[in-house]
Amino acid sequence: MNNATANGLPPGRRAIDIVNAGLSKRYRRERRFRLYGISAILASLLFLSFLFGSIISKGYTAFQQTFIRLDIFFDPAILSQESLTTANYPGVVKQSLRQMFPEVTTRQDKRMLYGMVSNDAAFQVRKLVLDSPEMIGQTLPIWVAADDDIDMLMKGHFDLDVPESERRINDVQLAWVDRLQQENRVEKRFNRTFFTAGDSREPEQAGILGAVMGSFYTLLVTLLLSFPIGIASAVYLEEFAPKNRWTDLIEVNINNLAAVPSIVFGLLGLAVFLNFFGLPRSAPLVGGLVLTLMTLPTIIIASRASLQSVPPSIREAALGIGASKMQMVTHHVLPLALPGILTGTIIGMARALGESAPLLMIGMVAFIVDIPGGLTDSATVLPVQIFLWADSPERAFVERTSAATIVLLAFLIVMNATAVILRKKFERRW
Amino acid sequence: MDAAANFEELTVGIENTQTASTGPAKAKSGRILFDRDSRDTVGEPFVEDARMTCRDVNVYYGDKQAIKDVSLDIGRNEVIAMIGPSGCGKSTFLRCLNRMNDTIDTCRVTGQITLDGIDVYGKDIDVVPLRAQVGMVFQKPNPFPKSIYDNVAYGPRIHGLAQNRAELDDIVETSLRKAGLWEEVKDRMDQPGTGLSGGQQQRLCIARTIAVSPEVILMDEPCSALDPIATAIIEDLIDELKQQYSIAIVTHSMQQASRVSQRTAYFHLGDLIEVGDTAQIFTTPRHQLTQDYITGRFG
Ligand SMILES: Nc1ncnc2c1ncn2[C@@H]1O[C@H](COP(=O)(O)OP(=O)(O)OP(=O)(O)O)[C@@H](O)[C@H]1O
Ligand SMILES: [Mg+2]
Repeated sequence: MNNATANGLPPGRRAIDIVNAGLSKRYRRERRFRLYGISAILASLLFLSFLFGSIISKGYTAFQQTFIRLDIFFDPAILSQESLTTANYPGVVKQSLRQMFPEVTTRQDKRMLYGMVSNDAAFQVRKLVLDSPEMIGQTLPIWVAADDDIDMLMKGHFDLDVPESERRINDVQLAWVDRLQQENRVEKRFNRTFFTAGDSREPEQAGILGAVMGSFYTLLVTLLLSFPIGIASAVYLEEFAPKNRWTDLIEVNINNLAAVPSIVFGLLGLAVFLNFFGLPRSAPLVGGLVLTLMTLPTIIIASRASLQSVPPSIREAALGIGASKMQMVTHHVLPLALPGILTGTIIGMARALGESAPLLMIGMVAFIVDIPGGLTDSATVLPVQIFLWADSPERAFVERTSAATIVLLAFLIVMNATAVILRKKFERRW
Repeated sequence: MDAAANFEELTVGIENTQTASTGPAKAKSGRILFDRDSRDTVGEPFVEDARMTCRDVNVYYGDKQAIKDVSLDIGRNEVIAMIGPSGCGKSTFLRCLNRMNDTIDTCRVTGQITLDGIDVYGKDIDVVPLRAQVGMVFQKPNPFPKSIYDNVAYGPRIHGLAQNRAELDDIVETSLRKAGLWEEVKDRMDQPGTGLSGGQQQRLCIARTIAVSPEVILMDEPCSALDPIATAIIEDLIDELKQQYSIAIVTHSMQQASRVSQRTAYFHLGDLIEVGDTAQIFTTPRHQLTQDYITGRFG
């Protein structure tokens, strides 16, 4: 009787019996939830591996390039000592091709023959001659890049079932390629050009370095502006600002800005930075400014969240022994919030790296061959380069599009891994 | 029914049972107690040689009033104990004295609190020197996630109390010794303060507070996480500190209050019910609520 009133259970029933009765149901529910979780993760892994698989399978061939070995005669008649910089180097290449295929005589056939190697071959020869003029007069085997059509043929991307008249390589050229292959004059090698050149209309001469440098300068501007401004705003709003209608308004606006479509920031950049301030078009400086506007809300929100997660007892401890508010923030709160702030920043920067829409608006979509050397040089960025190549008709740009995507993904993975490592490194328990 | 009531009394008065049995807490049948409903402060809240004075202090958390019209002095070289049931506003009152309540947005304080005759809530009062002068040990241990050394050295560093490293080392060692922690940590000064046990952390916080030599020390249940030995060390420290300083200590332990304090103030639901000499409060309380509380019959 006494026992029954104390625990509120009807007499004769023990709590442990009730607990045991419900136990199997609880465990079933737990197993079910675990199953949901695992299937969700499996599904996302599946999609991810499908995405990666398709991109990598399409793109990995771009890291190789077909080269053709030519026996180049550095003809003293063409390469006169006085004008080595302006000599007719394409002529040297053409001459050696003619020597290899003496049977080619008609103008049209010759043009086809010359088209088998990249225009780049002439530049390659020029560089060799300028580096060591003593070559003149000799005949040397030189590996030059093949034209992109030959490259595609060698990589098996060429559909030979199409009637000859609709093919970019006709049967005569196919025969030449066969002969070159029999003479061991064709080889696939690592495609250095892809990593060291800027954009080009010729796929075999196109590289991503220009876009990578453009992205680098753009992100540099973004980081240098958005990190300090973001932290300062977050610290002020979180630690110093009075909580009133104005700060509420600011907070709502920051949250709204984070959700604004990025193209709107591009329009803003176009109107303000280009048209009003007259900054140069297509420049990483302007791109960085636009991406700063876009990234700031992300950084501010992440920083505020991690400032909020610093336990109030730490603040009280600092204030309690007479630290000023500034000292409390710089000595205790910021160091504890730093991992979260850095993570937020890197995630924001990763988003900025992958952003293309706002940059289209400020002209970073131009065809730019030169590798940008500064903040005001015309430039494009990696995602825009991908966009440009995806739009190009040549078959060889398909694999380059995927290869550029692989490079972009690699940068993103490195950045996100850095975020994880930084968080692990600076994380402290309290 | 009976069992439930007993149980409640047990939890509220768990520390008081001894006092109740050892001390002569039973009111003599002839003595008149102030009624339960009376909320005026019984006893003498003022002292002649006051270090801090509080007049008609009200504290609100938003609309909720946590302290109601409390007037109380803290004398020079005295230890004043604040007791009362959980949630009665002891911590709140203590935190008013060095303006720690400023950090709570919803908290509003009215009335007057002075330190050495100066209004601490005055317009041109800088809280930094105020808090250096009125130090605080918090209810929950809150060491910085830094090394033990840096925890203690932080205060002296920001206030520039040490001229050089040797002086700083000296301050750190003295403070840790006084807090009874030195022997335990002297070989691992560079390890994180958060890695200590709860009781050690609290002593570290005490060392950190006394390292800046405050003149008034507010202690919010400093010994609630300590074993009897550490408690004894802290109580000795309090005895020593009161030679120079004033101390206000919140405690749930009647024995501790009677051991260390000269005066005791009893709070109840935001009201200061009774204040007086510690011995008098514990032997002949004059308010019914005080008597109920110290005899463990509160509720
Ligand atoms: N930050 C806060 N916001 C709102 N109300 C608060 C806050 N802090 C305390 N209170 C309220 O003020 C009253 C007094 O709290 P206080 O912490 O001063 O009690 P206490 O006497 O120290 O209790 P304990 O002995 O449990 O520490 C309580 O009712 C509590 O709920
Ligand atoms: Mg308290």
